[in-house]
Amino acid sequence: MNSTLNLRANASVYDDDIVRKFVAATVLWGVVGMLLGVIIALQLAWWPANLGLPWTTFGRLRPLHTNAVIFAFGGNICFAGIYYSMQRLLKTRMYSDAMSAFHFWGWQLIIVAAAVTLPLGFTQSKEYAELIWPIDVAIAVVWVVFAINFFGTLAIRKVRHLYVAIWFYMSFVITIAVLHIVNSLAVPVSLTRSYPIYAGLTDALVQWWYGHNAVGFFLTTPFLGLMYYFLPRAAERPVYSYRLSIVHFWSLVFLYIWTGPHHLLYSALPDWAQTLGMVFSIMLLAPSWGGMLNGLLTLRGAWDRVRTDPVLKFMVVAVSFYGMSTFEGPMLAIRAVNGLAHYTNWIIGHVHSGALGWNGMITFGILYWLVPRLWNRELARPGWATTHFWLATIGIVLYTLSMWVAGLTEGLMWRAVNDQGLLATPAFMDIVHRLAPYYWLRVTGGALYLTGALMMVWNLLETVRGARPQVQAIPAPAAS
Amino acid sequence: MSKHDERNQVLGHEDEADGIQEYDNPLPDWWLGLLWGTAIFAAGYLVHYHFIAHRSPQKALAAELAAASERWPSESPGTTQLMLTEDAAAAGEQVYRTNCVPCHGAELMGGIGPNLVDDEWLHGGMPEEIHATIVNGVPAKGMLAWGPILTADQINHVTAYVVEQNAKALGRPYPPGGDDEPDDEHEEQEGGSR
Repeated sequence: MNSTLNLRANASVYDDDIVRKFVAATVLWGVVGMLLGVIIALQLAWWPANLGLPWTTFGRLRPLHTNAVIFAFGGNICFAGIYYSMQRLLKTRMYSDAMSAFHFWGWQLIIVAAAVTLPLGFTQSKEYAELIWPIDVAIAVVWVVFAINFFGTLAIRKVRHLYVAIWFYMSFVITIAVLHIVNSLAVPVSLTRSYPIYAGLTDALVQWWYGHNAVGFFLTTPFLGLMYYFLPRAAERPVYSYRLSIVHFWSLVFLYIWTGPHHLLYSALPDWAQTLGMVFSIMLLAPSWGGMLNGLLTLRGAWDRVRTDPVLKFMVVAVSFYGMSTFEGPMLAIRAVNGLAHYTNWIIGHVHSGALGWNGMITFGILYWLVPRLWNRELARPGWATTHFWLATIGIVLYTLSMWVAGLTEGLMWRAVNDQGLLATPAFMDIVHRLAPYYWLRVTGGALYLTGALMMVWNLLETVRGARPQVQAIPAPAAS
Repeated sequence: MSKHDERNQVLGHEDEADGIQEYDNPLPDWWLGLLWGTAIFAAGYLVHYHFIAHRSPQKALAAELAAASERWPSESPGTTQLMLTEDAAAAGEQVYRTNCVPCHGAELMGGIGPNLVDDEWLHGGMPEEIHATIVNGVPAKGMLAWGPILTADQINHVTAYVVEQNAKALGRPYPPGGDDEPDDEHEEQEGGSR
């Protein structure tokens, strides 16, 4: 498409080319991120997989894995889904083709920069914000361009009403900009090094305000927006409740932003701030479940199709895992529970029931629904999609169960004392050895999940091979 | 409109939502209960924790420590002195295997930590000095302080084991000195090896 000179190449058709690009990037980075996950899971079970090279050790590949799955896989599917659905919901082409292209290529370059710098050991060592300051600046620039394009599109929309998905997208665009910029403020001392402008405890609090809201506003609100668009489209059923969507949207975005301190329970953080982190997390339960309810109840009258349609299967399990992990989260934020679970594998299991179960599964569902429409082809192998669904589901179950058991085991062993009042297991290595079987189970679960994803890649490639996508004209807005 | 009539009424926004219809069903009662219930719990917990019970993690720790020192009154006084006997060294071997092998090696030849069966002592090679190093650790170099982790007996035993293994490796007698050698001669010998 040679569209960069005009603001919009052809304002009478949707820009689906940009959606196809983001879809391709989603699939590519998804496989990379999941493969990295399986590799580092193997490293924990079998240390020679570190290969004895600094670039391939767990400490460097782990942040690459998290960045790849959250910002590359998760980010690209959010952008794909947003560009596809917001044009259709607002009955207009995106505000600027050039900005869309800049957003796409800028984001992919940032991912490549991350994939180079993290294995080389360049890091700010803030979790989920490891990237060095020049990349942080690039992220801010690309994000602001995306935001201008996004709100520009809202400004030229042809409908008055803003569908619920758009509200969730807005919270994503605004909040991520604020979180990223505030948490990344740093004083550079060289091209690769910088010091945060916050010191000590303040830095920790800002970091976890960012860290938890990366979960809230990168992995939750945009994905809920995607759910609100793609689930009723796929199920062809009305959304269960408009008023529930309003109430749970506002309560969710209001409460989420306060929950970060639950990452700093039993730390030097003032007690009142720890308490706020805990109680806001508990209050977040109902708003989170509001999204799950609206998703599951929208399927009333379509449950017979869940049995046969892999797209709906993925979405049902995704929404169920969303409900489960947003129940687990508030429980883990309770002081006493956190005292046992913090720093254990339980937390890793919790994160992955969200990431694999909610984000991964809804992404697969969207891809199986979207790719045939974007390329005007029937899905090549629907049977493979169902196999993918089962592999992924069994993989998640193995992953979360093994990490629950591992987390409880180590949490209890760390604190166990014998009848003389001494540590029952003073040698840390003895506890690590005890966890090895669960680490192997986790590798198995992750490998199943990756296998399913690879089947999807083959399936989608076969679907689009030789396809000639058609442009879709924008229907005239209804006369009112 | 009664609650029943409200159910499954389409709002009519679908022309402005890419054809997606929306019902305006009422919020489920149990969901509203959860929303208000957690909010009431949150307020109640905050007020109770900080303003009524005046709790804090520090106080919880102090209470836990008080309960522990009541249950285990003194710091588990050892029943043995530091005695360099065959029995003490034999008992110390198990302590060594469980706690020391990862750093000092199964053969005491060192690894992460220093070799214990040569003639060089970084922190003193007298039995009392070895004992003190085990109790207090050398935090700067990664040696744990085992005083709070092991019992006094275990530390006595493992000290004896290390002294025994060191003596064996260097061809010196253990128990040191033997029966007929005076004590200070033994100290001189040990002192010379530092």
